[in-house]
Amino acid sequence: MISLVSILKRFPLTIFALVVLSLPFWFPYIGGYVGLATKMTIWALFALGFDLLLGFTGYLSFGHAIFFGMSAYTTGLMFKHFSAEIIPAMIIAVIVGTLASVAVGYLTMKRSGIYFSILTLAFGEMLHSSALSTFGWFTGGENGLTLPDLRPVLFGIRMDGLTMYFVTAFFLIVGYYIAMRISKSPFGLILRAIKSNSQRLEYTGIDVQKYKLGAFVLSAVYASVAGSLMVVYEPYVGTEYLHWSTSGELVIMSVMGGLGTLIGPIIGAWFMLYFENVLSVPLGEEWLLVLGLIFMAVVIFLPGGFVDGVKKLYNKLTKNSADVEGK
Amino acid sequence: MNNFFLQTLTGLQISALYMLIALGLTLVFGTLGVVNFAHGALFMLGAYFAVEIASQFGFEVAIVAVPILLFIVGVALERGLIRHFYERSHTDQILVTFGLAIVIGEVLKTIYGANNIPFAKPTWGTGILRLDEYLPFLDGAVYYPKWRLILVVVSFSTVAALFILLQFTKFGLIVRAGMRDSQMIAFLGVNITRRFTIVFGIGSIIAAIAGIFGGPITQVEPELGMKLLIPSFLVVVVGGMGSLPGAVLASLIFGMAISFTAEYAPIQQIIIYLIAVVILLVRPRGLMGKKGLME
Repeated sequence: MISLVSILKRFPLTIFALVVLSLPFWFPYIGGYVGLATKMTIWALFALGFDLLLGFTGYLSFGHAIFFGMSAYTTGLMFKHFSAEIIPAMIIAVIVGTLASVAVGYLTMKRSGIYFSILTLAFGEMLHSSALSTFGWFTGGENGLTLPDLRPVLFGIRMDGLTMYFVTAFFLIVGYYIAMRISKSPFGLILRAIKSNSQRLEYTGIDVQKYKLGAFVLSAVYASVAGSLMVVYEPYVGTEYLHWSTSGELVIMSVMGGLGTLIGPIIGAWFMLYFENVLSVPLGEEWLLVLGLIFMAVVIFLPGGFVDGVKKLYNKLTKNSADVEGK
Repeated sequence: MNNFFLQTLTGLQISALYMLIALGLTLVFGTLGVVNFAHGALFMLGAYFAVEIASQFGFEVAIVAVPILLFIVGVALERGLIRHFYERSHTDQILVTFGLAIVIGEVLKTIYGANNIPFAKPTWGTGILRLDEYLPFLDGAVYYPKWRLILVVVSFSTVAALFILLQFTKFGLIVRAGMRDSQMIAFLGVNITRRFTIVFGIGSIIAAIAGIFGGPITQVEPELGMKLLIPSFLVVVVGGMGSLPGAVLASLIFGMAISFTAEYAPIQQIIIYLIAVVILLVRPRGLMGKKGLME
């Protein structure tokens, strides 16, 4: 038991990579399938990036669907008008998502608290409505962007099944590695300082605005990669990718997993999609109700999320066993 | 002239509903300091209760019973859940009430299904009115649905009633003092927590009024709460969190903007978001917000 934890602490990335890479092989035993594993991994990447913003700086964005959705649309449009090769599509998509985040972040990051949340929500809704109406002639409007008979390829290799999964897993593992490095870097430290007291940080002469924008853009890059991968996985762009409910789901999964821990939002994303696709079968229509109740319970009783819960449980167990040994 | 008048009237009618929802939202925020994402769900609950009671006992009964029911729901909610979040961060408040909104929406969906259920207007509220019979400056026949005018009247009456309650009664005085410095009021021997519970109940009553009179216009379906919460939240934030006159002003601006852009659909779709973004960037605390709140 104790040795397991020390291994986890010593080689977090290796363990993480092993879990992610082996997922499609043991997942079927608990009711999953490869496609779901791919989707879970994409959302995990999305949530991981979000943690760098919400978990580190404490800025609650209700508009991250903007970058996920814009990147998804760009990928779809590249497939449609350029080629089914994923590399150019993904590069352009991430550039578009990143540029959008610089613009949105520059405007919204001047505000904090509820004003920031509402501003991001307003930008998101604005874009969603425009995509449906004004830009409908190239986004497909209400129907979403349909890409019939399109098979995305990487150097001519069809992106489906396990191939697709491992490409996604590659991005998640690299993303996790980068996030871990950021977390331990001075940059990460400043982001955490913004959360605890940004005013005091400003008095020390640090340009807080620049770092906040950095965190915002960084999280949007993750969101863009995730959005792009979503369309590679399933060549169709749904209008809901831009909708605020996508941002809402992202918030829910991140909070449930445990903010500021990097692994927490990933677990949250996995849990939520697993819940939505596998556990929802026995629960039937009421699955979302149950999920809402779980979410509320976590916010009320376990503000640190699942990760915090496991930590507390572990501490309790080890403490108890130590007591027993002492006696 | 006719056209301009009708558009203004439509603007007022759109404002009326936003105003009713935003009023409860900003009242609760201003006094309790709680960001209530579940307020849209309370409004929706009011609409569902109204449908149920109106079909069983008649619309007049619903007008009396639904606000009482929602007052009870509001008080229970404040006592059972919201109270424990006064000391937590605004982010936690948003999250827990967001969760509550999902749960209420899903419960309603389980009971009534995902589609909208019919909400019949009472006989005295149906039909259309010939406005030119009352207003001599209009030329030719000008028609307007009666119910929409009733909504406008109800909405502005509610605003007036709330204003009187807060400005001219002892209860209002205490609550306003509590908004400034609740600790001081508690030291003076006033049971401010009980007043706060009642304020949350009043916010729920306003949501109920919005549900009863807005329901027949908006369609009653489980997504309704969130659909109206977002613009209402924009109203509150643009008006300035916690400012009642700000909420009234902002809802009028939004209503008029939507009404007068009706001919340009692409702009109408985004106009309120556009206004919100511009106002918030120019005036960080909204039109009438106070310094230091929610930042």
